[in-house]
Amino acid sequence: MKKTGFLYDERYLLHDTGPNHPEKPERLKAIYRGMEDAGLLSKLTLFQADPADMKWIETIHSKEYIDRFETSCRSGITVFDYPDNQMCAKTFETAVLAVGGVIKAAQKVISGDLDNVFCAVRPPGHHAEHGSAMGFCYFNNVAIAARYLQIECHINRIAIVDIDVHHGNGTQHAFEEDPEIFYYSIHQHPTFAFPGTGRAFESGNGPGTGATRNYPVLPGYGDNEYHGLIQRDLLPVLEHFSPEIILVSTGFDAHVDDDMSDITLSTQGYSRLMERIVALAELYAGGKVISVLEGGYCLERLPELAANHVKILLNQ
Amino acid sequence: MFISKVMTKNVVTIDKDADISTAQEKLSKHGIRHLPVVNENDLLIGIVTDRDIRSALPSSQSTDKDSIAKIASSKVEEIMTRSPISISPLDTIQDALLLLQKNRFGALPVVDDQGKLIGIISTRDLLREFIEVLGLNDPGTLLCLLVEDKIGQMKKIVDAVSEEKISFGSILVSRYWEEGKRAVFPYLLTQNIGPLKTKLKNMGCSLLDPMDWYRDSHPK
Ligand SMILES: [Zn+2]
Repeated sequence: MKKTGFLYDERYLLHDTGPNHPEKPERLKAIYRGMEDAGLLSKLTLFQADPADMKWIETIHSKEYIDRFETSCRSGITVFDYPDNQMCAKTFETAVLAVGGVIKAAQKVISGDLDNVFCAVRPPGHHAEHGSAMGFCYFNNVAIAARYLQIECHINRIAIVDIDVHHGNGTQHAFEEDPEIFYYSIHQHPTFAFPGTGRAFESGNGPGTGATRNYPVLPGYGDNEYHGLIQRDLLPVLEHFSPEIILVSTGFDAHVDDDMSDITLSTQGYSRLMERIVALAELYAGGKVISVLEGGYCLERLPELAANHVKILLNQ
Repeated sequence: MFISKVMTKNVVTIDKDADISTAQEKLSKHGIRHLPVVNENDLLIGIVTDRDIRSALPSSQSTDKDSIAKIASSKVEEIMTRSPISISPLDTIQDALLLLQKNRFGALPVVDDQGKLIGIISTRDLLREFIEVLGLNDPGTLLCLLVEDKIGQMKKIVDAVSEEKISFGSILVSRYWEEGKRAVFPYLLTQNIGPLKTKLKNMGCSLLDPMDWYRDSHPK
C-alpha cells in the first residue's frame, strides 16, 4: 500500500457560490463522505492547507489580476469577470488556501513523506487565466504547483494530465511555450463544450512546440474511446516525455451522470483511466502523482468516483 | 456589418510602371496575394495577383535566361486586370461574401465614391469577422436543439436562456432534413449548461445529438 495523502480542509467550504450554482461546497462534503463510507480515511494521511505565499501565485497570474480579485472580493462583489464566477467575501482567502494546499502536497511528495496525494480543493483552477477568472476558477492551482516544482524543486520534466471533461485553457496558456511542462488534455470536443479551446491542432508554441497535446472527444463517446486513446496516444506520448512527476487535473464531470457534458464515461471507465496514469507514474516518475480536483458536479456519483480514485492511488 | 469596419486599411499598392519582379517581391514581403494598382491620385486603375504573376512568368523548367529576365522586367500594366471589380465601404460583409464567391476572388479592393482606393477586403478579413460573429473567442458552450418549424419557438428558447441568466455568444438557425423541424444552435457564454438543458427538455425541446449530423448526414 502506498503512502497516499488526502488534502481536505473545512475552509474550502467557505467559498459560497450562492443558490443553484453547480460548483458548491456540497461537492467536497460528498467526496469526504465517499472516503468515509469506503473506510479509506484511516488509510490516508489527512492534512490541511496553509495559505500560499503570493510569490507563487504571481508566477502564473498578473499582479493586477490578483489585486483586482482581492479588492472585488473584499468589496462584496458577488460576480467576477464572467457571470459563471459567483463568489462571496471569503472567496479570495479560500482560493489562496487552495493554492497553498496543493503546494503543500507537492512539498510532501517531493520530500518523500508521501508517495502520492489527492487534493480535494475548491475553487477549481484549470480555466483561470493569467489575467482573468473563468469557468468557476480563480487561481490555477495545478499550474502554480507545477511552477513551484519547476522553480523551487528543480524538476525539469513535469507532466500535467487533465482529465476534466473541459479543456484547461488556463493551464495550456501558462505553459504553451515551456518545453519542460507537458500539458496533455482529454476533453469533450471544443465545438460543443466550454470553453471552446483545446483543438487537436493546438500543440504548443515556440520552444514549447510539441509539449501541449489536446485530445478532443466527440459528444456521446465514453469508455471505449477513452480506453483507445490512452493506449494509442496518452501512454506513448508520455513515455516519450518521461516525466519526473505527474500532476493530474482531476475532473469527474466526464461521467455519464454528470449533466455538465455529453461524454459518457462510466465509473469503471474513470478507474481504468486513473489506473493507467498511476501505472505510467510508477514506470517513469517513481510513482509521484499529485491529483487535484477540478470539476465534477454530480453529487450522487462524486463519493464513489473519489473513493475509487483514491483506492487506485493507495494501490489497494 | 459594413465593409469599412472590417477591411484592411493600410493597403500595399503598386505603380503600373513597376516591373513584375518588384510586384512579386512586394507580395512575398507582405505575405499577401493581391496588389491594387493606383495612379498618383490614389485612384484604383487595376489589380495584380500572385496568380497573374505566376502565369506571366515562364515555368521553372525553362532554361532561357534572357526570356525570364525580359518577362520579369516587363511592366505591371501589361498583366494587371484593368478596372477591377471593387466594393464600397458602405457595402456589407454579406455583399462581399456573395461577390467573392460569385467571381471566385480572394480579395476585393475597397474604393470610395471618387474611385479612390481606401482599403482591401480579403477572405482573411472575412474569416476573422466570421469567428467574431460566432463568438468563438469567448468561452462558451454550444447547444444543439431541434424545434418545430413554427412561430414562437425561438422566443421559448430565448426566454429559457434568459431565465437562467445566461448570455448569448451567437445563435444559428438551420434547416433540418426532417420536414417541419428546425435546428437551432445557441452558443452560450457559460460553463453551467446542465440546468438549462433540463429546462429545455421539460419544455419539449429536443436536444439534438450532434453525432446524428455526423453519422446520418443529409438526406439525398
Ligand atoms: Zn470541467
